[in-house]
Amino acid sequence: MRSVFVRHRWEPYLWILPSILLMLVFVVFPIGIVFRLAFSHISRAGVVGGFIGLKNFQDAVSSAAFPQVMLNTAVWVVSVVGLSTLIGFICAMVLNQPFRGRKIARSIMVFPWAASLVIQASVWNYIIKMEYGNLNNILLNLGFLQDPVNWRASYQIEFIWECAIGIIVTIPFVTFTVLSGLQSIDASYYEAATVDGAGFWKKLRHVTIPLVKPSLTVSTVLNIIYVFNSFPIIYTITKGAPANKTDTMVTYLYMLAFYDQRKGPATALSVIGFVILCIASGCYMLITMRKEENL
Amino acid sequence: MKRFLSVILALSLFLSLAVVSAHAEDITLDVIIAQYGPNTQEWFLGAGMDGSNFVAKFEEANPGIKLNLEVVSWNDLYTVVSTRISNNNAPDILNIDVFADYANEGLLMPVSEYCPEELFNDFFPQFIEQSNIDGTVWAVPDLASARALFYNEDLLKEAGVDKVPETWAELEDASQAILDAFGGEVYPWGVDMTTDEGQAAFAYYTWGNNGGFVDENGEWILNSDANVEAIEYAIGLVNKGFTNPNPATQTRYDLQDMFAAGKMAMLIAPNQLPTYIIDKEGTVVPGTAALPHNEGAGSSSVGVMDRIMAFKDESAPDQAARNEAIGKFLTFFYDPANYVGWVSMEGFLPAVNSAVGALVEADPSFQAWLDVLGGAKFYPTTKAEWNDVKQGVIEVEQQALTGGNVKELLDALQAKITGK
Repeated sequence: MRSVFVRHRWEPYLWILPSILLMLVFVVFPIGIVFRLAFSHISRAGVVGGFIGLKNFQDAVSSAAFPQVMLNTAVWVVSVVGLSTLIGFICAMVLNQPFRGRKIARSIMVFPWAASLVIQASVWNYIIKMEYGNLNNILLNLGFLQDPVNWRASYQIEFIWECAIGIIVTIPFVTFTVLSGLQSIDASYYEAATVDGAGFWKKLRHVTIPLVKPSLTVSTVLNIIYVFNSFPIIYTITKGAPANKTDTMVTYLYMLAFYDQRKGPATALSVIGFVILCIASGCYMLITMRKEENL
Repeated sequence: MKRFLSVILALSLFLSLAVVSAHAEDITLDVIIAQYGPNTQEWFLGAGMDGSNFVAKFEEANPGIKLNLEVVSWNDLYTVVSTRISNNNAPDILNIDVFADYANEGLLMPVSEYCPEELFNDFFPQFIEQSNIDGTVWAVPDLASARALFYNEDLLKEAGVDKVPETWAELEDASQAILDAFGGEVYPWGVDMTTDEGQAAFAYYTWGNNGGFVDENGEWILNSDANVEAIEYAIGLVNKGFTNPNPATQTRYDLQDMFAAGKMAMLIAPNQLPTYIIDKEGTVVPGTAALPHNEGAGSSSVGVMDRIMAFKDESAPDQAARNEAIGKFLTFFYDPANYVGWVSMEGFLPAVNSAVGALVEADPSFQAWLDVLGGAKFYPTTKAEWNDVKQGVIEVEQQALTGGNVKELLDALQAKITGK
């Protein structure tokens, strides 16, 4: 009897041991290294020196580009997550209606998500090129334009393009997460609401939104993490130029580490980013756990 | 007992094998080579060297020395090297452009410790000088390129520009004429102020105005009046609409593509531009001229050079043998039988005298480029602050493009670099 009890105690740990080991090696260990580097002096050539306290953090935060970069990061995350969630939600509602060609519409929706971000960003980079960009070519050929337009006339406009591309590539993710939530709603709720005389907006407010809320929370929180860490779009289109004015935190710390060869401040920045994301996902876990208690 | 014996036997066999292999191991050199183009990998590791490759030929000619050679793209090169240094795993031999940081941190070996004298004397002396810090040479040049003004003769003719611009004023007149003739169809002039190579733009204009990065004593003079005037002139070209519209994000390669497609009339580019255009299947045959300069200042070409250097390795059991192996690597690489093919493969200029004869024989236009290179100025890469200066001047240019005041920006940069 005793042996069975003991076996049961260690057995589950044995089964999760491989994943724990993998996580230790590929997640915890690198995070530990980054934390150690963030408090160490790192020479330009890459030689890791001794502990220097918060010097790297001071350097990172006091650089001239830091306020602009943080502002950009906030604009980037809020606009991309906010608008892609709104548009993705609408798309999901549409795709949840029965209509001819719904399957085709759903597959088309997946395309942007299935292609790699770097490829999409490069394609968009060509589309908005002034000299031989597709957008100018199409508009010129259709006669809407007389002369090619510089679609990247200023860095503000370039940053708007980057946000717009970010939104376009993020919509499918939201759409499919919400769609799976919508599909799990029992039709009887809507029937009951219709019987009670509820119109489209009332059904949306009192039936649909409360019931897809869990999927929406999941997609929003995951989105915040993805978008915050998203690198390819901005790096491909502007590389943060001119003078870090279109950088977000991730592209900025990459340039800092691998272009400026200032790895100390760069690791300090990535620790700051890590903490921000920990807080964001902590809030998410609190919210979902509270919800589970309520259920 | 039988089992015990067989175990002993197996063990001793294994041990003897291990001993033998340790002997046969000899010396292995870790080599990192920068990827200059699609042919680099083929030449070093594929079949690009008369059906064989550099590594195979070297190992055949130098028994006892093995090469663990890696070709790394320029995009990843700095990251790869600094990660390896952080992990105490620096390569034995490295091919890259910068060296001062590595030398200042005591990671490199002086060239005199491994480079055979005969080979050392074969390098162009003015090139060797570019790797000399306080009397010690830390790296040898592997190749070079020189910059010149390239122009599309047909476009210039069509716009009524008879004379290729020599001065800044002439450049503006020519640009205006091209703009009038073609409207937005053709950009008169190319400017690259990207993080890719914005420091080159700084050199082109400040050196064309008797300014530059350092004075004759090697002190930083980033905010000199000549520099302010030069950068204001360059930004003025952009603001007057004479250039490609987005100099902060359009790299030299974007400009070269526009030039090859006949959409840009003039630009400053390296001597490989004609090869580049042919590779891109462009039909433009470029004319070349000296870089335009300000009235009263002299024209000077800009030379760019990459290097080969050797890292220290305290853990190597036999330092003398290791140094000798590195020397053999260099001797084999610079042997005209190998080196001429390497340099001409991507259209670069050589760094050793012994290669000049064969190269000029194959392509007489080489001589003109060698002359240009002879009078070229180089970036002050021996100075420890060079990396910060390079990024600093690019940031100044990009800030100025968005309306920043050039004088204030350069003053701030000078103060940051010199600590005053």
